[in-house]
Amino acid sequence: MNVIIFEDQKFDNLYPLTYLRPVYELKCGHTTLRQKIERMIGSSSFYYFIRDYLAPVFEKKLGNGKINRFDVLKDNDLLLINGRLLAIDTKIDLDGPEQAALCENQLVYARIKKASAKKITFNHLDEFIKNATSILPQKNIAATLINYPWNLVQNNGKAIIDDFNQLTDKGIHVELSPQAAIVGDKSLIHIASGSLIRPFVTLDTTNGSILIDENVIIHPYTHIEGPNAIGKNTEAFGGNIRAGCAIGPVCRVHGEIEESIIHGYSNKHHDGFLGHAYVGEWVNLGAFTTNSDLKNDYTTVQLYVKGELVDSGDMKVGSFIGDHSKTSIGTLLTTGAMIGIMSNVINAGGLIPKFVPSFCWFLKNRATKGFGFEHMLKTAVTSMERRNVKLTPEDETMLRTVFEMTKEERSFWIKKGSRS
Amino acid sequence: MTVEERIKNVIAQQLKLKLEDIKNDSDFVKDLGADSMASIELMAAFEAEFDIEMDEDAALSVKTVDNAVEFIQNILDQ
Repeated sequence: MNVIIFEDQKFDNLYPLTYLRPVYELKCGHTTLRQKIERMIGSSSFYYFIRDYLAPVFEKKLGNGKINRFDVLKDNDLLLINGRLLAIDTKIDLDGPEQAALCENQLVYARIKKASAKKITFNHLDEFIKNATSILPQKNIAATLINYPWNLVQNNGKAIIDDFNQLTDKGIHVELSPQAAIVGDKSLIHIASGSLIRPFVTLDTTNGSILIDENVIIHPYTHIEGPNAIGKNTEAFGGNIRAGCAIGPVCRVHGEIEESIIHGYSNKHHDGFLGHAYVGEWVNLGAFTTNSDLKNDYTTVQLYVKGELVDSGDMKVGSFIGDHSKTSIGTLLTTGAMIGIMSNVINAGGLIPKFVPSFCWFLKNRATKGFGFEHMLKTAVTSMERRNVKLTPEDETMLRTVFEMTKEERSFWIKKGSRS
Repeated sequence: MTVEERIKNVIAQQLKLKLEDIKNDSDFVKDLGADSMASIELMAAFEAEFDIEMDEDAALSVKTVDNAVEFIQNILDQ
C-alpha cells in the first residue's frame, strides 16, 4: 500500500503560512498535520505531493524519492489522504474497501486498489484525485479539515492533548528545581530529558496536559498552563504562557502568550501579548509587540484571504505572521492581522492594518519595497546563522520564486499606500 | 520645474530640511541625515512624484543628490 499525503487546491487559503511549506507541514499542537497522519497510519510507504517550487527544499526534509512520484500512483494499492486533515478525531485504516470519504464535499481520503488506479487517466494529481473520486463509492464522514489559518489555532488545544496522550514515554524525566511548583495532576506533565526547569516556575495542569520536549529551559517566573507544548531547544524567559500554546522548536519566548502557535526558530523575547496567533519560522517580534485578538464590540473577526475579507465566524482571532518577518519595538497588530513573509513591520504609533504584503517594509502606515529582496535575503542568512542553520541554495530559489509570485499583490498595496 | 528641483523638493519635504541645505553633492546619509527608514521613504516618495518604479537593489547605489538625479533621469528617459 502506498500512502499519499497530498495538497489540494486550498493551499492558498492558508497563505502566508503556506508560501514556504506544504499545508501538511503546518503545526497544530506539538506536531505537524503530516506527523499526525503518519502516526495514525503507522508504518507504511509514504509519498508526498507538493507544489513544484517547494519540492527541492522538501525533498531534503521528507526524503529523497518521496516527493511528487507519479509512478507510485499506479504500482500499488493506494491510500490518498488530504494533507489538510487534522488526524486526531478521524480514524483511517490502511485496509478496507475502495471508497472516497468526503467531508462537506471535500475529499478526506480515498482508498483505491491497484487495478482501479491503473485505469485512471490524468495529467496532474488534481485530475487523478478528481477522476478517482468519481469512480469510487463515496461516503460522507465527520472530519476536521483545515480550511483557513485560524482553524489551526482553534484546534490547537485539543491537538496538544492528543499529542500528549500519544506519547509512549510520558513522565517527568528530569529533576525539577525544588522551588518549581506543579499545580494539578502531575501525571499530566511530560518533561523530556535534557530539559531544565528552574526555580519559581509553575506548571498548571488544571485544564490540560503540559508537554515539554528535549533540551528546553524554563527560566524563573514562567507560568505555564495546560494544554501546552514546548518544543525542543526552546527557552522561556518568564511570563505567562497561557493555555493552548504550541511553541518551538528553537524559540525564545517571554511575556504573555495565549492560544498561539509559534512554528519554530522564532523569537518573542520580550514583554507584549500574543494571542490566538500563528507565527511562522524565523520571525522576530520586537519588544512590546502586541496583537489584538478580540474586538471591542465583540463582533466576529474578518481576515484577508486571497485579497478578500473572510469572516472567521470567531470572536477571538489574533495575527498570522509569515516566515522571516520581523516587527519593531512597540508594534501593535490589529485584530486578525495577516503579515506576509519576509516583511519588516515598523511601528508608527498606531495599529498595523489587517494586511501587510510579503517582502515589504511597512513604514509610517504604508507598505514600501524596503531595500529590496537581496537585502531581505541577507537578513535571513544572518538570522538563520544565529541558530546555526544555513540558508541553502534551494531555500534561496524557493524564496525568489515566492518573491516573484507575490509581486503583483505587493505592487498593489504599495501603490495603494502611496495614494493615501 | 526640472527633475533636479523636483527631487530636491521631495528631499526637503521628506527629511524636513531647508532647500538651501540640499546640495548636489550632499550625501543622503552623512549630510542629510537619512537613516535606513528615511531612505526607504525617500525612494517611495520619488516613485510617487515621478510615477516611476525604482529597482530597489539598483537604488542602493544612490548615495548623493546628484546620483538620485542621474538615476531618476535615466528611468524617465527609458
